[in-house]
Amino acid sequence: MIVVAPEQNSKAKKFKDDFWKSKDIKISIGDIVEKEGEIPESDTPMGPTPKPHVTDLRSWDMKLLSRYEPFYAPFCDMCCLCTFGKCDLLNKKGACGIDSEAQQARIVLLACNIGTAAHAGHARHLLHHLIGELGEDYPLDLGLNIDIEAPITRTLIGKKPQNLRDLSETLSYVEQQLSHLLSACHTGQEGNNLDFESKALHSGVMDDLAREVGDIAQIVAMNMPKGDGDAPLVEMGVGTIDSKKPVVLCIGHNVLPGSNIMDYLDETGQEEDLEVCGICCAAIDISRYNDRAKVVGPLSRQLKFIRSGVADVIIVDEQCIRTDVLEEAQKKNTAVIATTDKMCLGLPDMTDEDPDLIVSKLLNKDIEGALILDPEKVGEVSVKVAKILAPEREKLKLLPELDEVQAMAVECTECGWCNRVCPNNKPMMEAVVAAGKGDFSGFEKLYLNDVCYSCGRCEQECERELPLMSMLAKVGERSAKTEKFNIRAGRGPVQDVEVRRVGAPLVLGDIPGVIAIVGCSNYPDGGKEVAEMAKEFLERNYIVVATGCGAMSIGEYHDEDGKTLYEKYSGDFDSRGLLNIGSCVSNAHISGACIKIANIFARKPLEGNFEEIADYILNRVGACGVAWGAYSQKAAAIATGVNRWGIPAVVGPHASKYRRLLLGRTDKKETWKIKDMRTGKIMDGEPAPEHLIYAAENMAEATVMTSKLCIRPTDTGKGRQIKLNHYIDLYKKYYGRLPPDIHLFVRNEKDIPITYKKDVKEVLEEVGWEPREIPQEPSLMGMGDD
Amino acid sequence: MSNERIIPYQPTVIAGPKQALLVTPETAELMIKNSKRPLFILGPLVKEEPLLSFATNIAEKWNLPVVTTADAYKPFNDKGLNPKSYGVVEIVNLLKDPEWKGLDGKGSYDLVIFLGCIYYIGSQGLSTLKHYAPHLKTLTICKFFHSNADASFPNMKDEEWFKFLGKMGKGG
Repeated sequence: MIVVAPEQNSKAKKFKDDFWKSKDIKISIGDIVEKEGEIPESDTPMGPTPKPHVTDLRSWDMKLLSRYEPFYAPFCDMCCLCTFGKCDLLNKKGACGIDSEAQQARIVLLACNIGTAAHAGHARHLLHHLIGELGEDYPLDLGLNIDIEAPITRTLIGKKPQNLRDLSETLSYVEQQLSHLLSACHTGQEGNNLDFESKALHSGVMDDLAREVGDIAQIVAMNMPKGDGDAPLVEMGVGTIDSKKPVVLCIGHNVLPGSNIMDYLDETGQEEDLEVCGICCAAIDISRYNDRAKVVGPLSRQLKFIRSGVADVIIVDEQCIRTDVLEEAQKKNTAVIATTDKMCLGLPDMTDEDPDLIVSKLLNKDIEGALILDPEKVGEVSVKVAKILAPEREKLKLLPELDEVQAMAVECTECGWCNRVCPNNKPMMEAVVAAGKGDFSGFEKLYLNDVCYSCGRCEQECERELPLMSMLAKVGERSAKTEKFNIRAGRGPVQDVEVRRVGAPLVLGDIPGVIAIVGCSNYPDGGKEVAEMAKEFLERNYIVVATGCGAMSIGEYHDEDGKTLYEKYSGDFDSRGLLNIGSCVSNAHISGACIKIANIFARKPLEGNFEEIADYILNRVGACGVAWGAYSQKAAAIATGVNRWGIPAVVGPHASKYRRLLLGRTDKKETWKIKDMRTGKIMDGEPAPEHLIYAAENMAEATVMTSKLCIRPTDTGKGRQIKLNHYIDLYKKYYGRLPPDIHLFVRNEKDIPITYKKDVKEVLEEVGWEPREIPQEPSLMGMGDD
Repeated sequence: MSNERIIPYQPTVIAGPKQALLVTPETAELMIKNSKRPLFILGPLVKEEPLLSFATNIAEKWNLPVVTTADAYKPFNDKGLNPKSYGVVEIVNLLKDPEWKGLDGKGSYDLVIFLGCIYYIGSQGLSTLKHYAPHLKTLTICKFFHSNADASFPNMKDEEWFKFLGKMGKGG
């Protein structure tokens, strides 16, 4: 039975066990199969907000939004969503009555809903397939070290999921909420920006749930690593791919086509005969399934790699794939197979055809490509096509020679529009002009570390129609051949035992923080900066967790000893641990780890208890996300979700185009007031964390801000010293002085780092600092309308 | 393209019908002269020479209070400008509030001059001020036309830009 969400509650209810018992309130949490000897689920106290409806957590959202007010940066002055418009909202209301702030928030909600729908659609597709294969009763077994196997689901749904059916039920709830949230974007619905923001936050945690469902389903049903810190190292980089073999490239996020290709190769004993590689999260998830699969690299590799012609067959599944992939592939006679309903590319549906017939039609060019919705058939067809096509395509795996590149470059008129339309204003024109004179160093600089992330906008603008991306790929080919890196296979969730080990040092501040490097590769200046940030924090004893393209970029860097950071640092959730958690959907385990800290270390009950858990994380868990190249709507949903759990995030400069940040104001002391739950006293707090989502202009600013956003009100004196020591160190490194706001984070003299004692004391004297009381249990609960 | 000097440098940042006023160095100076509370915001793209000196000379000639963004603080501090450091989104967030006390505690500003912020995040910040800060005007003196500003230099090459900046600074 799918349980309808409870009726809307305008206000979150108090969490009191007695209340719920005395009122004899029964909350349906679906069919639960109890096992002998287990504590029945009904004995778990249920918190106030199981399966919260859109408005049930509104009071928590408003607390966050009054402290971290939305900062809007309209990307467009106008609204063009209905036929009243276009309406110019610059200092005017639209024809429907909406103002500019509400419109920005509406677009934020829309973006979050798109992102959530992408993850929910992905998870539903996986679940549907896996239930079809294994049945609804297939158990969720994450191994001996993970008892709290779905912390987000437990908190939001109020139930421990036991099998694939339970995951499906969770997803039904997400889908239901999503339809309410999308409905609010319609013209003439919500009109208040803060309520739009509250809905966006709700959409964000629905995204969390969808990701958790998707990743747990694939981990348990496909036997991916279950919180394994020693997950194998997987080969990564163009140079690891043997282009003399037939090559199948998977692009996107859905593991099923790729895993079936690996299965077919194993079953037919051809595992050594073909190369299977991937770009973006499909690469991560296929290599979690089978570590022989290779990772080409992040999203930024897509067009360059397609243009290189190395792939004989391209398999596309869903999300973040170039929508002109078919056109690009055809230029290189690469066969394309689309595999999900999300991306059909106008191709004929061959799902029910005989595999050999599909192979024949593809090879004879009877069809432009094939839509095959049966992943098993994709496995067979792709391998057969690649094997026959590869010898024919040998010459197509060659890019134009360098003298051809030079001859083309001479055609450049130096109009400069390639630079202007480049999202990062990189010097493409200068690179072309130099190449025309036989100097390819400009192209090389753009190629290395994906400084040019090959969106191809420059080509669209070129009045000479120069194939700039192919020219770039050719010049970079020499470097590409030596690009041999690695990445630790995505390990999945953090183990309970690891949380037990680091819970105290994290909450008390001895481990200065958890830095989550996540998201896409829309970097302002290449991927190396991401690896540099990871290295900086690892050397400072932070825990660094990573997912998706961010995890790949970290691996594309060799240190002075020629090692990648994955080779150098352990994969354990501990100080100086570097964890590749997995793909985009695996981000759920990062919020999940913070939730587990509240549950395992602080014994906070999870079931139906969102606000108390989020309040704990906000005030105590020094975690900060870094999404340096966030570009997608999924990234918007992920960031908004973690924000609602009380986890701040630093994003790159491009993310200012999401239109909304959540910024604190240190000059507004009243916004930092907290309640000490131990004494019941309302008292002055501190700006910790200062912002919830913050866009930095460059890496220096991002690094400094990330260290600051790990400060929490509950740090012990020793813990605060450690955190401030890193903040001061980094500030001095990039700004050449002590942070001017250091006095805001010194509660008493015990907080002052010994190394900087004299300097900090001077600042404190200058600003007339006085020691202040430290709350024992800082909380936003019991504040405002509570 | 005949009007390419006044198409936004990144053409797709065009947000709507309102466009910035194209200004010469002389008009820009007039705006500063007429301002009662100007503020100069310097970003990381001008932290190296010769731009470091051009920017410093302008700040000194007009006695402008200076905010640096990202990691532009150190070089401008070394130049003796005594800047305050903020993230570009932080300073824009403060500027949009007419009740903000300002760097000196004397209140908000009536003219904000931008130079050297990364184009696209700068454009977003200018959009914020265009929409939500009617109490102040924005002027950009980068070598890029910024349509979200109230007034902007046109797109130009370094040589012309350096002349423009030189005219606005000490001895110009």
